[in-house]
Amino acid sequence: MSFTLKYKSINEKREIPNENYTIKDLLDELELSAQTMVSKQNGELVIEDTVINDNDEIQLVQIIYGG
Amino acid sequence: MQCSKCGNPKVIYKREQSGQLLCKDCFIESIEKKVIKTVKKENLLDKGDKVLVALSGGKDSVTTLEILNTFRERNIIDICAVTVDEGIANYRQEGVDIAVRHAERLGIEHNVVSLKEEYGISLDEIMQRDNHKGSCTYCGVFRRTIINKAAREMHATKIATGHNLDDEVQAIMMNYLEGNMNNLGKLGAKTESQAEEFTVKIKPLREIPEREIGLYVVAKDLEVHFDSCPYAMQSFRGEVSEVINQLTQKHPTIKYSTLRGYDKMKPVMEKEFKKDYAHGRCERCGEPASNQLCKACSFLEELGV
Repeated sequence: MSFTLKYKSINEKREIPNENYTIKDLLDELELSAQTMVSKQNGELVIEDTVINDNDEIQLVQIIYGG
Repeated sequence: MQCSKCGNPKVIYKREQSGQLLCKDCFIESIEKKVIKTVKKENLLDKGDKVLVALSGGKDSVTTLEILNTFRERNIIDICAVTVDEGIANYRQEGVDIAVRHAERLGIEHNVVSLKEEYGISLDEIMQRDNHKGSCTYCGVFRRTIINKAAREMHATKIATGHNLDDEVQAIMMNYLEGNMNNLGKLGAKTESQAEEFTVKIKPLREIPEREIGLYVVAKDLEVHFDSCPYAMQSFRGEVSEVINQLTQKHPTIKYSTLRGYDKMKPVMEKEFKKDYAHGRCERCGEPASNQLCKACSFLEELGV
């Protein structure tokens, strides 16, 4: 079970580590703040509580930058 | 889980302050309605206004342009825009190009003014000087001066900036914590100066949280420049912002309550801390100034430009 992560220059396949693995879990793993990001699942905007499924494409967009 | 307004199961946003869940269309509509409500409540626009949007190409200014354009489409106002090119290598050009494309898309009058052309020195060149005072000091003053001049040249009756709820609450807290009552009294949705050379400034996004503006541009597929200024550093604003955001996690309405409290206090502060308006003019450029030189020209003198 894997998904594709797209974030800035990252475009990679990642394993889904457990059942009910959410975008919030992914953000925590990448040490990214949900407050500064929006997430897309297969091209559609979703909230961070969304569960990542097999073969999903998850795109993260940073919308808040310091300064 | 479904949209609190229309029942659509495709929810894209949860409002922590109210628990409201919103689908894409209802989220976009809620932002646009809220901005229009601010415009009406604060009397930000008059019929026949020509509004100059300070358009950097970032999310806040592009959203300001997009929503104010709905008033233009209804023939209530006219819109023009100015973009300031500070001269920051590998950063600014993308925002300038995006601003140009938005202006072309909407068919509005648009000027790009560079610090280099206007003052003979770019921000990158200033930052190479040993005696510089920090990038934000120059950038803020030069940008303000250029935007004010552009408003006069383009015959604008209002200047709209993209200040959002987070910006405004940070400014309230920073000025309060620094005890700067003069600057504290000057915040708000609409700023009018006694100097006729200064055009009225309005902040239509003042009640929209920064995160919601970011989501709005992504939801509407608006092209914006998402990037961090290379000169951004650990500033007092950054520290204040961090504290406010930490508090917001446990107290999701705190930004709004800070803003509401400020709005109630503002008339008192204006009365108590009203300063006599500086009637002087800068000897070098003729802009309003309380000393011999305006702030921009005093910087230029120090830099030997």
